Amino acid sequence: MAQQIIFYILAVIISVFSIMAVTSKRLIRSATYLLFVLLGTAGLYLLLGYHYLFAVQVAVYAGGIMVLYIFAILLTQKPGEKITPEPLRQRVLAIVLSLVGIVFCGYIIFSNITKVYTLVTQSELNTKHIGMTLMGTEKFQYLLPFEVISILLLACIVGAIMIARKRS
Amino acid sequence: MFQNYSQPLEFTNLTSWLDAALRENLPEFWAVFIELVLVGVVLLAAYAVLAMILIYVERKITAFFQARIGPNRVGKYGIFQTVADVLKILIKEIIHVNKVDKFLFYAAPFFMIVASVLTFGAIPFGKSLHAVDFNIGVFYVTAVSSLGIIGVLLAGWSSNNKYSMIGAMRSGAQFVSYELSAGFALMTMVVLSGTMQFSEMIESQAYCWNIFNGHISSLVAFVIYLISGHAETNRGPFDLPEAESELTAGYHTEYSGLQFGFFYLAEYLNMFIIASIAATVFLGGWMPLQISGWDGFNQLMWYIPSYIWFFGKVGFLIFLSLWVRWSFPRLRIDQLLNLEWKYLLPINLVNILVMVILVLTGLTLTDLF
Amino acid sequence: MRTFKQYITGLFGGIKSLLSGLSVTWKELWIKKVTQQYPENRDTLVISDRFRAELVMSHDENNEHACTACGICEMNCPNGTIQVISKMTETEDGKKKKELDRYVYDLGMCTFCNLCVITCPSSAIKFTNHFENATFTRNKLVQQLNHEGSKLRAKKKEPISAQPVPKEKE
Repeated sequence: MAQQIIFYILAVIISVFSIMAVTSKRLIRSATYLLFVLLGTAGLYLLLGYHYLFAVQVAVYAGGIMVLYIFAILLTQKPGEKITPEPLRQRVLAIVLSLVGIVFCGYIIFSNITKVYTLVTQSELNTKHIGMTLMGTEKFQYLLPFEVISILLLACIVGAIMIARKRS
Repeated sequence: MFQNYSQPLEFTNLTSWLDAALRENLPEFWAVFIELVLVGVVLLAAYAVLAMILIYVERKITAFFQARIGPNRVGKYGIFQTVADVLKILIKEIIHVNKVDKFLFYAAPFFMIVASVLTFGAIPFGKSLHAVDFNIGVFYVTAVSSLGIIGVLLAGWSSNNKYSMIGAMRSGAQFVSYELSAGFALMTMVVLSGTMQFSEMIESQAYCWNIFNGHISSLVAFVIYLISGHAETNRGPFDLPEAESELTAGYHTEYSGLQFGFFYLAEYLNMFIIASIAATVFLGGWMPLQISGWDGFNQLMWYIPSYIWFFGKVGFLIFLSLWVRWSFPRLRIDQLLNLEWKYLLPINLVNILVMVILVLTGLTLTDLF
Repeated sequence: MRTFKQYITGLFGGIKSLLSGLSVTWKELWIKKVTQQYPENRDTLVISDRFRAELVMSHDENNEHACTACGICEMNCPNGTIQVISKMTETEDGKKKKELDRYVYDLGMCTFCNLCVITCPSSAIKFTNHFENATFTRNKLVQQLNHEGSKLRAKKKEPISAQPVPKEKE
C-alpha cells in the first residue's frame, strides 16, 4: 500500500520532470530537471530495496555526470539565453520518433516482464555477490565484458588526449 | 559478544521499550510509521542542535588560536551566542534579487541541505542510535554527499553574479577532484574490514581500531581522508570558493537570511559528517577502547556510554580540522589541484595496493597477533 | 629518476613544514589571551601614551597656558578643526598686544593627524589618550580648550625653541 503510493509519487515526478526537461527553454534548467528524473529513478531502486544500484545511480549520474553536464553547459554557450524553438516539422518528427522509441521499448519490456519478475528472488543483493559476479571468470560472471569495456574507455581517453594535445 | 559487559547509560533499553510499547498498542503499519516520523524528527533536531554547538565551539576555538576570548556576552562564556544568532537569521529578511533565475536560485540551498541531511542519517551515533544502515553504508555516504556540489554550482550560476559564478566553478573543480581521494581512502578501509556496512565495520573494530589494524597503510589513508574531507567541505586552507578577499563570499554572495543559513548550516554539518565518518571508519566509531583479554579494563570502558565515545572521537577530529584551518594560508587553485592530482591520488592508488597486499598476506595487526 | 627523487623529497619536506606550522599554532593556542574586556576593566585598562584621542591645552597651577594665539595650528589643520580667536589688549606701558581669547576645537572634525602639536612653536597643546569622547549631540564635541580666565604664561629668559617648556598634567 505505502509502496504503491510512493511508487506513484515517484512515477509522477519522473514523468513530469522528463517532460519539463525537454520543453524547458533554458539549457541549465533542463539539466536540473534531468537531475530530478535521475534522482526519481534512484528512488525507484531504493523502493525495490536495490541499495547498491541506488548508490550507483546517485553517485554516477547525479554526482558525476550531472556535474559534468552543468560544467559543460556553463563553459560552452551563454547558459542564460533562451533557445529559439525548432521549426514545427522537426518538432513533429521528434515527437513521432520518441513515440516509436516508447513503443519499441515498451513492447520489449512488456513481453519480457514475466521472465524478469521471476528472476528477482532475493530481497537484497549484497555487495560481495555483485563484486563476485562482476569480476568472476565462471559461468554467468562478467570479467571479460568488464575488461572489454575498460579497454573501450581507455581508447576514449587516448583519443581525447590525441585530440587535445598540442601539435608542434 | 558485548552483552556480557554492563552498559548502564545506553539508549538501547529506551528504544527497544518504545518499539515494544508501540507495537503492542498499535497495528504494525502505524507503529512503523510513528517510529519513522520520530526518527526523522530526532534527526532533524539533532542536526540543528549540533550545528549550533559546532558553531559555538568553532568560534571559541578559533578565538583561542588567535589569542582572543571569543563570544562571552550572551550567557555564561557566551554559550547562548549561537542561539541568538540562529534566532536572528530566522527572522532576517530574504532579499529577492531581480535578475536571478528564480527557480534555481531558490532550489540551490535545498540541494546542499538535503545532501547533508541524507548523509547525516547514515551516521552511527552510538549503540542502537543508527538511523540508516544499508549494507553499502560507505558507498551510500559518498554517493549522497556528492549531491551537495550541484547545489553549489546552481547557486553560483543562478545568482547572476560573476563572483558567485567563479566561486561555484572553483568549488566544483575542487569537490570533484577531492571526492576521488576521499572515496579511495574509504575504499582502502573497505578492503581492510571487508564490508561496507557501518555497523559491521564497527563490530570488526572492537579490539583493534582500523587505524592500528592496517598500520602504515591505514595511517596514510586516514591522513588523506582528513585532507580531502577538509577540502570537500570548502574550509580551512581550501576555502577558495568563498575566498573573501577575491570573491566576496563566493557562491553564496547573493543569498541572505535563511537561505544563507542553509549554506552555513550545511557547511558546518559537513565538517561534522566528515569527522564522524573518519571516526567510524578509522577510529572504531562508537566502540569503546578495548583490549582483548583485559576484562576489567573493558568493563570500565563500557561504563562510558557509546555516544560519548563517538562524540569524543568526532570532537578530536573536528579540533584537528580547526587546528589545520587556523594554521595554514589559503591555497591557490593550481596548488590545490596539484596537491590532489599529483600527490594525494597517486599516493592513494599505491596505498590501496599496499593495503590489498597487507590483507592478502596476513600482515594486519589482528592477523599477526 | 631524479624528478622522482625530487618528488619524494618535496613531499616529505612539505609534510615537515606543515608540521612545524602546526606546532606554532599549537603554542599560540595556550598563550595568554590579549582581549580587553573593556567596560568591566575600566579601572585597570592601559592605553598607550602615544594614542591620540583628544586635544588639550596644558595649564599650570596658576591657570596659565603657553598659547600666544599665533594661529599656526589653525593654518596647519587640514580640515579646519581649530579656530583661534584672539583679542587685542593694551599692556600697562601702552603697547598693543595680541592675546588668546578663545581656542575652539571641534573634536568631531579632527583626524588626529598631530600636525597642530608638531607645528606649535610654544608647545601649548598636546594630545592625551583619554578616549571616552562619545556624546549625545554633536554640539558637545565643539570644545573651548583654554580655561576661563586663563592667561599667557610670562616668558622665561631662555628661548623656547632650545628647551621646550616642561608641561604639567592638567
